[in-house]
Amino acid sequence: MDSRSAAPAYLVVDGLVKTFGADRAVDGVSLAVPRGRFLTLLGPSGCGKTTTLMSIAGLHRLDAGLIRVGDTVYTSVADGIFLPPEKRDIGMVFQSYAIWPHMTVAENVAYPLEIRKVDRAEIGDRVAEVLRLVGLAPMAEKLATQLSGGQQQRAALARAIVFRPRLLLFDEPLSNLDLKLREQMRVELKRIQREVGITSVYVTHDQAEALVMSDEIIVMSKGRVQQVGGPHDVYARPANRYVSDFIGVANLLDGHVVAVTAPGRGEIEVGPAETRVRLPCRLGAGVAAGATAVLSVRPENVAVVREPPAGPHLPGEVLQTVFLGNSLDCRVRWGAFEWKVLARPRERLHPGERVYLQPDPEHSLAVLP
Amino acid sequence: MRTAAPPSGLGVARPARWLGRARGLWTQESVATLLASLVVGAAVLLPLFTLVVSSFRVLDALGFDTQWGLDNYRRLLADRIIRKAFLNTLVISAGATLLATALGVSLAWINARTNCPGRDRLEPFNLIPFFLSPFVGAIAWHNLAAPRTGLLNSAARDLFGIQTHVLNVDNLLGVIWVTGIFFTPLVYLFVVGSLRRMDPSLEDSARTTGAGLLRTTLTVTLPLVTPGILSGAIIVFVTSAGEFGVPFKLGAPYGWETLTTQIFSKAVGDDANHYMGATMSMALGVITALFVWIQQRVIAPREFTTVTGKGFRPNVIDLGGWKWVALAYNVAYILVAVLLPLGCLLVVSLHPVWEGRIIASDLTLWNYQKVLFFWRPDAIRTATNGVLNSFILAFTGASIAMALSLVVSYMIHRTRGAGARLLDLLCVIPIGFPGIVLAMGVLVTYIKTPIYATLWILLLGYITRFFPYGQRSVSAVMLAISEELDQSSRMAGASWLTTLRRVTIPLLKPGIFAGWVLLFIIFLRELSISIILYTSGTETLSVGVYYLANFENEPLTAALSIAQTVALLACVVVFRRVAGREALTA
Repeated sequence: MDSRSAAPAYLVVDGLVKTFGADRAVDGVSLAVPRGRFLTLLGPSGCGKTTTLMSIAGLHRLDAGLIRVGDTVYTSVADGIFLPPEKRDIGMVFQSYAIWPHMTVAENVAYPLEIRKVDRAEIGDRVAEVLRLVGLAPMAEKLATQLSGGQQQRAALARAIVFRPRLLLFDEPLSNLDLKLREQMRVELKRIQREVGITSVYVTHDQAEALVMSDEIIVMSKGRVQQVGGPHDVYARPANRYVSDFIGVANLLDGHVVAVTAPGRGEIEVGPAETRVRLPCRLGAGVAAGATAVLSVRPENVAVVREPPAGPHLPGEVLQTVFLGNSLDCRVRWGAFEWKVLARPRERLHPGERVYLQPDPEHSLAVLP
Repeated sequence: MRTAAPPSGLGVARPARWLGRARGLWTQESVATLLASLVVGAAVLLPLFTLVVSSFRVLDALGFDTQWGLDNYRRLLADRIIRKAFLNTLVISAGATLLATALGVSLAWINARTNCPGRDRLEPFNLIPFFLSPFVGAIAWHNLAAPRTGLLNSAARDLFGIQTHVLNVDNLLGVIWVTGIFFTPLVYLFVVGSLRRMDPSLEDSARTTGAGLLRTTLTVTLPLVTPGILSGAIIVFVTSAGEFGVPFKLGAPYGWETLTTQIFSKAVGDDANHYMGATMSMALGVITALFVWIQQRVIAPREFTTVTGKGFRPNVIDLGGWKWVALAYNVAYILVAVLLPLGCLLVVSLHPVWEGRIIASDLTLWNYQKVLFFWRPDAIRTATNGVLNSFILAFTGASIAMALSLVVSYMIHRTRGAGARLLDLLCVIPIGFPGIVLAMGVLVTYIKTPIYATLWILLLGYITRFFPYGQRSVSAVMLAISEELDQSSRMAGASWLTTLRRVTIPLLKPGIFAGWVLLFIIFLRELSISIILYTSGTETLSVGVYYLANFENEPLTAALSIAQTVALLACVVVFRRVAGREALTA
């Protein structure tokens, strides 16, 4: 397996269930985060990621499950334990930043220290230190309403880390920022998290964000965990159709595995009866011989040629091409299926041309449906 | 803070699940909200419950014993006087509604949609009648247009040599007139809010299809504002039906009884019969509550306005030369509704004796001394008690009511579940019942308790009836504050109470203060509840005015009325400063 599971888990979430009326928002979610690592919960709206985060924070009560940080049990439905949010020692950055408009930046950041009855002089020092860390030192005496979105974001982060919490939670903090600022803040947030080393759980629906920032990603859908893995794993070795489709772009074809040629490799038969073809591929976890599976091939891993090549290939007709500068985004029709192919501009493909597609066996994956 | 709980499965004794759950329920937040719900529930439901029960107890012929029966209800339908009173109430409400709607809609349209000059300056004056006491207004109009002693009639007699009178305000028409003028601001507020919040592109798109100004106004603007107009009309209807002061001054003494004046005489009159009073209160209360329910649940949700972050600049119609007519119309309203009656009262108050005409040589401030200077031996006790008691009640009542409103608003908007919805309902109920109805309920509930005949029972009546206004004031601001501001305080380590103190309340300050001032004004001018629950020593300002009107003379009455009006106007200035323009459009 991977090295991650060797490190002891600091945050443990086990069997979370949360229902709102008839709706099972979180349906048996479990996760484990080693100390100091950055975990992202990734999924579309309604997948249960925010509910999970809120449950860890103690802002939602659970119907079933266990939440533990280190040796402390925060929530245990079975044992009737529930620690209120203010006792959980968790820093949280909200989507709307939630900077209090009637206080200055310094007062906002000092608030958690005042609650903990830290000595006045020490408060001053620590607030200054953390404002320097997030790059807001000159803004200390300004009111929240005088700050831009990005600055409020940093202030929210400063407030969340100033009291050195055990855990840091982020609820889609960058979704209200414009694109350029978002890209900038992604890197900034990761840098700061690395520097202070607090275990972090981050919620987002933006896969680019997840891929850039995370040590580990949990892909969720409809209240369940679809896959747990590092950015590269989740991208290159998706566990099932959903993850393939959600992360990046993928060509997904239904078929079934007809042969296993080596450990983790085999052949999958795809296509309707008239144009059935066998393609060599890698086998994802849990995919056995004879099983129904989905062939997942990323557009950049499909070769396009004008002459029929040696080996398994698919004849097709170019439907349209879009010039993207460094690549050519093509749609190629094969039977009733439309392949997405990323070709090099020098190939000079045109709509109407007859071409032959050859998916790279090293990067074709048969995944669970 | 760190609870060391052993991992499950080790066989160590664990606390029973129910105990943990019970401990979880016992938080600061749940205790405070439970307390608030109990207080509100008891305060609101108890009087109503006792009213219902009392209405089924029939007083026997000797007036001592009671027994269960439906006779009260039979009498309600059979008694001629009560039937007449019911009819009069209906006529007054309908008439006042028509008048107030006509005036309110026209003034709102002029103010929000035309280029009438100075319309921003005029608006505060349009709203003044909303804050004043209609009872005082009735007294003022009596001084203006009573057949024999009315100022206007005397002037007409002197100028035109007529023998009789030109105006007579001491009848049903007079009640309709005064009630209509004083409640015009209610319709005005609903309609002007509706017009201002309307997206101008709705009208623009009609204009681009070729519709002219008139057609657009009739086919687009008017239908969109109709919910606002209906809401305003219903509220005026209901408030008129429950109005006591105006028919008490201009109707009942001249033979025009209404349900409210009848309830009053059943409560404290010579033929006092609390149980009959309760029955009549039930009848009136059910009708008004029904209408308010319709307005809240059926009409208000159909408001066609969208609340977006973008500010709208509504279309302004150029009236051309007619804008001066609009200005004159608006000024005329202010003159007639505010300046004329107050001016007359002032004039009357400066005379030692009032006979219907101004005698400049007699003007004196002596009346004010008699009603305000409580340290003088010749001061009128009832009046000076009234001043003192009203200020005490207004100050304490507003403070207690706002504290209650804060917790209740929090519970309604920040917690989920059946408790929040129940509390929301409990807060709407007092609005549906006229002051006099609720006062009857409070009277029969607490008549045998120690708070009866003290200021406390008045305080209870005031707060029960009017705290929803404070609650709305706070809710309006709370809805605009994101829940995440409270949540982030909890995450930073603050308890529920600390969060309330350091984050929620400071952000709600404008709403809290606006609500406090509004309640202060309402309590200072209150009549219907005071007149049922007062006793010697616990008179209020309005009761003092009533006493002076019945047992002293016109100038003294006028003096105290002016004093009350000045106090109210001072509060209005404070309210405008604190609350801003949109504060009343709730």
